[in-house]
Amino acid sequence: MFNITFYLRRLHSLVGLFMGAFLMVHIGNNSAVLLGPDMMNMVIGTMDKMPMFIRLPIELGLIAAPFGFHALYGVYIALQARNNPIRYGYLQNWQFTLQRWTAWYLLVFLIWHVYYLAIHTRITGIHLCFEFLQSYLSNPVYWVLYVLGMWAAIFHFTNGINTFCMTWGIAKGPRIQMVINMACMGLCGALCLETLALMLVYILPIF
Amino acid sequence: MAKKRFKVIVVGGGLSGLMAALKICEAGSEVDIFSYCPFKRSHSLCAQGGMNACMDTKGEHDSIYEHFDDTVYGGDFLADQVAVKGMCEGAPALVRMFDRMGVPFTRSAEGVLDLRNFGGQKNKRTVFAGSTTGQQLLYALDEQVRKWETKGQVKTHVFWEFLKIIKNKEGVCCGIVAQNMNSMEIEAFRADAVILATGGPGMIFGRCTASTICNGSAVSAVYQQGARIANPEFVQIHPTAIPGSDKNRLMSEACRGEGGRIWVYKDGKPWYFLEEMYPAYGNLVPRDIASRAIYDVCVNQHLGVNGENKVYLDLSHIPADYLEKKLGGILEMYSEFMGEDPRKVPMEIYPSVHYSMGGIWVDRKHNTNIPGLLASGECDHQYHGANRLGANSLLSAAYSGTISGPEALKWAETGDRGSAISDGELEEARMECVHEYERILKMDGEENARQLYHELGELMNRYVTIERVNADLDYCYEEVKKILARWDNIGVTDRGKWANQECMFVRQLRNMILYALVVIKAARLRDESRGAHFKREFPTRDDEHFLKETIANYDPKTEDPIITYGDFDHSIIKPRPRNYAVAK
Amino acid sequence: MALQKTVTFIIERQDSPTGKPYTQEFELPWRPALNVVAALMEIQKNPVTKDGKRVAPVVWECNCLEKVCGACMMVINGKAQQACCALVDKLKQPIHLAPARTFPVIRDLLIDRTVMFENLKRIQGWINVDGTWEVRIPPRQNPNTAATAYEISHCMTCGCCLEACPNVGPQSDFIGPSPIAQAYMYNINPLGEYDKANRLNALMAKGGITSCGNSGNCVKACPKGIKLTTYLAQINRDVNIQALKNIFDH
Repeated sequence: MFNITFYLRRLHSLVGLFMGAFLMVHIGNNSAVLLGPDMMNMVIGTMDKMPMFIRLPIELGLIAAPFGFHALYGVYIALQARNNPIRYGYLQNWQFTLQRWTAWYLLVFLIWHVYYLAIHTRITGIHLCFEFLQSYLSNPVYWVLYVLGMWAAIFHFTNGINTFCMTWGIAKGPRIQMVINMACMGLCGALCLETLALMLVYILPIF
Repeated sequence: MAKKRFKVIVVGGGLSGLMAALKICEAGSEVDIFSYCPFKRSHSLCAQGGMNACMDTKGEHDSIYEHFDDTVYGGDFLADQVAVKGMCEGAPALVRMFDRMGVPFTRSAEGVLDLRNFGGQKNKRTVFAGSTTGQQLLYALDEQVRKWETKGQVKTHVFWEFLKIIKNKEGVCCGIVAQNMNSMEIEAFRADAVILATGGPGMIFGRCTASTICNGSAVSAVYQQGARIANPEFVQIHPTAIPGSDKNRLMSEACRGEGGRIWVYKDGKPWYFLEEMYPAYGNLVPRDIASRAIYDVCVNQHLGVNGENKVYLDLSHIPADYLEKKLGGILEMYSEFMGEDPRKVPMEIYPSVHYSMGGIWVDRKHNTNIPGLLASGECDHQYHGANRLGANSLLSAAYSGTISGPEALKWAETGDRGSAISDGELEEARMECVHEYERILKMDGEENARQLYHELGELMNRYVTIERVNADLDYCYEEVKKILARWDNIGVTDRGKWANQECMFVRQLRNMILYALVVIKAARLRDESRGAHFKREFPTRDDEHFLKETIANYDPKTEDPIITYGDFDHSIIKPRPRNYAVAK
Repeated sequence: MALQKTVTFIIERQDSPTGKPYTQEFELPWRPALNVVAALMEIQKNPVTKDGKRVAPVVWECNCLEKVCGACMMVINGKAQQACCALVDKLKQPIHLAPARTFPVIRDLLIDRTVMFENLKRIQGWINVDGTWEVRIPPRQNPNTAATAYEISHCMTCGCCLEACPNVGPQSDFIGPSPIAQAYMYNINPLGEYDKANRLNALMAKGGITSCGNSGNCVKACPKGIKLTTYLAQINRDVNIQALKNIFDH
């Protein structure tokens, strides 16, 4: 007996975790900026050295496709919910709601982000570097939207780890669920602070 | 060759109705179950303490005969002994059936069914599931019925109110008329037999431990159509209930079964009056005895807590974890409604109307005097005589279903059913109910139905409960007759077409008033004291005149009950005086 | 003379399943230990609104008034709960009453919870016994397992968890927390275990356990304190194993 719903939903969960891994790598790369613009440019340069015939399949197969699936199925999931955190203002219910709200935001944000920084720059031949990003993010609206985008992704991922543990039946009892939740939210807070710091590099005269 | 399939209508989705339905399904026939509510909300679930069955797993050499004798003795020798014997013999098998169905009975360390003490019995004989045994038993049967529903043999009519039975020319019951409580449509249904399992009439007493659906309306309706009511005056008053303005909430006898003690202050010191008055049984005397003692201590000796009509039920000396395991749910209920923790302070309780031993007269196979109509569960009069032992109600409810179900099929197959009713007759019966309902919908008199009901409850609670006085009963009867007359002058405010609860209530109210008259009249005429029926003017049991079942017939002209007395089988155990001060 | 203390209710009403909701305000005298059902009964005796208009009595469902039948679930001050044990003194005034709109409304506070009983069919919510006749001595059971079953068996199908769950409602086909916990109860029964695979497979289908979004509201809403999230996680574990069996056993 094969229940397609079950496999799709579990796949969605796994893919989410995979996307999260990518997010961690991405944040790690971006953090290079904390060591200075040169470091950042070096990291971007290393990426650029990868030949297109390797890079494109990776981007399409390992990033775009899973993301597309996670996003599309996620839209379906989000539409199944009628959020009620005002009536039931429990922490976990707020997390549930934020998971969906961040998802909607990320959907729009990532399309914008990927289109502009990965597709538009390649088509128009703009060279991606610290200086370009600095001028781009000097627009305060963009900067704020980017910070929010990063935070949304971090929350969505860390809370995703939390619910992953419940969905897969790893954390069963209330105590372990609470412990994992707190650990995930701790990670969320730490990553949010880190991304805030790296985003500040672009607008503050540090280097 | 496949057996011919019959269609039986069961009215009521409690323990008895569902049990009967299962038996009918297993025999290959079909059942239509009508209920006020989803079956899981039937009043059977309010039974807390347990179900009696001689399991003898505690090394006490308990026997079925002991159970039989305790039940007959507890019922003050007014129960049909052949019927009671059958019930006690059937009890252990029923428990094993429930166990197989997944009832989460409380178990001993070894994994066998645990037993507890209960009133009026010296041996541990009560199987239980914490303090919600009725709920668990009801759910088990509900699940089994649901299984049959998926197989297509059960059809449920939930939120339908039974209005009346349909009889053919020969007076044989061959269907019912019922009303959908949401859409208000009235329909007639054919059946090869009808089983009423509609529970007790607690609501005629206003405040009681019963659910709001236990109004006795269906019983009253068939009584008005010629069914006899037997022993209606025997109404059990449960000694330990939490008095409340909306209802009296039951505090299980299991509290005393697990060691709870009843006391009041006397001369500044706790007085454990039940233990003093009845040294042999102590706090575990039967309910009628305990209720009368509490009544006496409060009303006659003015020793109630703070001068009010309340006494203490004390569990505070029992370890909290033991209480949690055995009584958990109901102690929480007390905390929730009363705001005090019964694990630490004694509970304040007072007797309340609880159960009707009497009901529709049935023979040992649960046939009523109307052919084709059967009754089982609390709405019948069988098994309990003048007083029911605690934890015998779940037993009698389930057991009676195992009798009434197969008997209904036997009637359908071999009974003298007379002529079939035509579609025209069916429609005529339906239209009669439609017209009646439309009359109620148009009522625009001065009286408020809820006010009338309130007055009825006050009268019944005041005059027809623990102690009964002939002069008061006469007065009460006249007053209730006045309420009956005032019913005609009710005005309704709700003329809505959906879920018109007010109009349904007005119709039920009339049935309740007529049932109340039966109870009062029967109590008035039984000049003795037996079980739950106590008259100071006649303080002893009078076997010479009253070792008889009370039979009430409806007089359509005057609307009064006609009371006669009938014989029953008391041949196995010779009636002996009932005295709980000494071991029997 | 002290002023008579009163209680104010704002009740969301609706005349028929397709009617438009409207609210009415009622005021009644306070009394000790007053609960919402008792207050509704008072309104029923004298259905006059605060501004003196005589109206049809409010319609709602209740049976036992002891918090075991599950009938009187409604939304009180925004939260789904049993009206019979909602003590007025513990509620913020004015007290808002509304039907649980997760379910179709029939009239006023009366709702149609048929779906909950249908869900019990979906999960095969029964022990498949051969019959009511005597078979043999029933199987023994670990008293601890029986105690877990007892906890779950308190579920009175009231619908609080479904009303509180953001994933249950007309927008979704999620079966909801209570039947999933029920399935676990049947699965741990010595006889019920025989149908465990069927129940798990039913829960893996569309609208089953996979639709749970871990909002955790159910366990907070449950008036019986059933550890719903724990049993949901356990069933999640069980369906994973079942999925592996489905793949590798055939």
